[in-house]
Amino acid sequence: MNTSVGKVAESSVKEQFENRAELLRVEGLFKSFSRFNALWDVSFEVGERDILGIIGPNGAGKTTLLECLAGLLSTDGGTVLWKNQPLPVHRRKDVMFYLPEGIIPYREQPTFRLTGLCRDIYGLSRERERNVLLRLGIEHVLNRRVGELSRGYRRRVLLALALLAPQPLLLLDEPFDGLDPRQTVEVAGLLREESAAGRTLLLSIHQLADAARICSRFLLLVDGKIVGCGTMDELRGQAGVGSKDLEEIFFALT
Amino acid sequence: MLQELHNLLSGRAFWATMFALTFLGGYSFIQAVDLYGQASKSAIEYPELARGMVPFEGILVPTLGAFYLASTLLLPFVAIRAIAQDKESGALKLLLQMPITPGWLVALKVIVMVIGVTALFLPPLSFVPIWLYLGGHVHMPELLNLLAGHALYALDVTSIAFLAAALSESLSTAAILALAFTLAFWVMDFAATASGGFLHRLSFFSLTAALRQFEQGLFNLPAALAMMLGAVGLFALTATWLPTGTAVREKLLVSFLIVLFFSVLAFASSHARVYVDVTENRRNSFNPADEVALRRMQSPLFVWIYLSPEDSRLKEMEANVLGKLRRTVPHLEIRYEDTSGQGLFGSVPDERYGLIIYEYEGKRAESRSNSPREILPLVYELSETKVTPEKEPDYRGYPLVADATGYGVWFYGILPAFILLAWQGTRRPTQKSFQN
Repeated sequence: MNTSVGKVAESSVKEQFENRAELLRVEGLFKSFSRFNALWDVSFEVGERDILGIIGPNGAGKTTLLECLAGLLSTDGGTVLWKNQPLPVHRRKDVMFYLPEGIIPYREQPTFRLTGLCRDIYGLSRERERNVLLRLGIEHVLNRRVGELSRGYRRRVLLALALLAPQPLLLLDEPFDGLDPRQTVEVAGLLREESAAGRTLLLSIHQLADAARICSRFLLLVDGKIVGCGTMDELRGQAGVGSKDLEEIFFALT
Repeated sequence: MLQELHNLLSGRAFWATMFALTFLGGYSFIQAVDLYGQASKSAIEYPELARGMVPFEGILVPTLGAFYLASTLLLPFVAIRAIAQDKESGALKLLLQMPITPGWLVALKVIVMVIGVTALFLPPLSFVPIWLYLGGHVHMPELLNLLAGHALYALDVTSIAFLAAALSESLSTAAILALAFTLAFWVMDFAATASGGFLHRLSFFSLTAALRQFEQGLFNLPAALAMMLGAVGLFALTATWLPTGTAVREKLLVSFLIVLFFSVLAFASSHARVYVDVTENRRNSFNPADEVALRRMQSPLFVWIYLSPEDSRLKEMEANVLGKLRRTVPHLEIRYEDTSGQGLFGSVPDERYGLIIYEYEGKRAESRSNSPREILPLVYELSETKVTPEKEPDYRGYPLVADATGYGVWFYGILPAFILLAWQGTRRPTQKSFQN
């Protein structure tokens, strides 16, 4: 982990977090597949311009949680509130956009058709599309087919779709997956800019170093249950450890 | 919609189907012209035989039979891809979050499929100008009606494939499910020809039976409406099952309401007794005077038939008498009596086999004939009606001895080359640069 970057991020987002207004509240979310409980009584809230990192081992329920929130998976119980008002499934797409992990949409199509679809469907200007593509450094792969892009480029193209989406809350599943260290730092910076500009982010991240680099708050999920939630300081208190290392806190709590 | 169209054109399944359809259509046409020419050789000299030389039956129906094969066996793969690939690639997760309802999403895909099917039909349809150039004759209402039948059949197959894709997790499962449905109609028709009772009655409602009406040169409004409603109903079910975030319980409830709604509509449409005989030789109609008399029969006419379904006499009677009676007599009840173990090759002889009994207002008559010339007078006798047939225009037939073998170059060489070029054209992406 890059400690200096982590410290700067931590102190700046701390101020941001203290003044936040609650945007999303999740109460008692349950989801099971056959007899397997994927999510068990999951409750948390997210403030405006928060960057909440959902961290946990493989199979913890991170993706399930994001898909349940986005309305792409039905739940067995629980409530989702938006600014203290119940948010029914069919209205989720009005306020949040979920970017799944590992998808390759329209693999036979050139990349510009994919970003163009997003631009057209949301009625965005070409200038806006251009800015996003330039910020992600993918303007030179637009004529290549989506299926022919490298994993890193494909991830950045998909991130472009999320950034083009106008919803105030973005749910990103493993946004740094497939990116090299330099790209990870660049994309993390980009996401922080989005947050500073007014967006709220929910990121599912399995790399703790990446999570510590960008997130203002953390939700620790193990076997579908929340084992810790809060800022780094709050988690440290919950874990009863003096370390500032997220990995140590995570191991102490799990 | 453009994105969906690009998606359809970028798939190999679409171009492979177009290839196959062009080959099949061309082969069917060349064979049909050959057979028609051989039959015409003697018909040219004898006017009685010439009457039987009908281009609709000899050329159009067999050539467009290629559409039936392609729609049944290949189209499901093209249609399934439109939905299953979105599911497999993850595009559906993005699309479901965009400001478009699942209903609109399915509607867009249907529109694109309609455009796609039209494009698929165009290359083999080039047989029509070739046939005309060879000196052949085409009665346009027959051709248009036949094309409408094939288009409706393709729409129904598409709707089955869409629903199969919406219900399945993978492309291969969807393909098996869709083929099971389309082939089931085939099997049902085949089984119905060999057995009577329930299966025989059920076969009247199969997709192939509905298409056969168009192949007989009949525009059957109830059948057309049923095909249309069936497709729209299945598309509605697709839109219900496409969203992944809705609970299964809720989907089942909505599906039940959709099935109920469309069943009521289909039942109501079955009463729309509109039939138009589009054939030039009026093969699906009695003499106009007979039709007027039959339409005036207000009491029910009962018919008991002691013939097994595979008996050719029953098949002839269905085409020449029963079908026409169904379309004219307001209250007709036909009962196919159980003839299992009997018939031409049956083991148990029954003296009633071959008998057809008619009953009208308590009066009964029996006959073993399957010809309208004998049956209609019998019916008029029961209903105490006198009919003087009107004089109808004489149909002389269109015998033609021609050879279309040379046009194999068009169907097997030039058209496939054009298709290949078009396919390559769609694979070359348009250049886009923000610097421009």
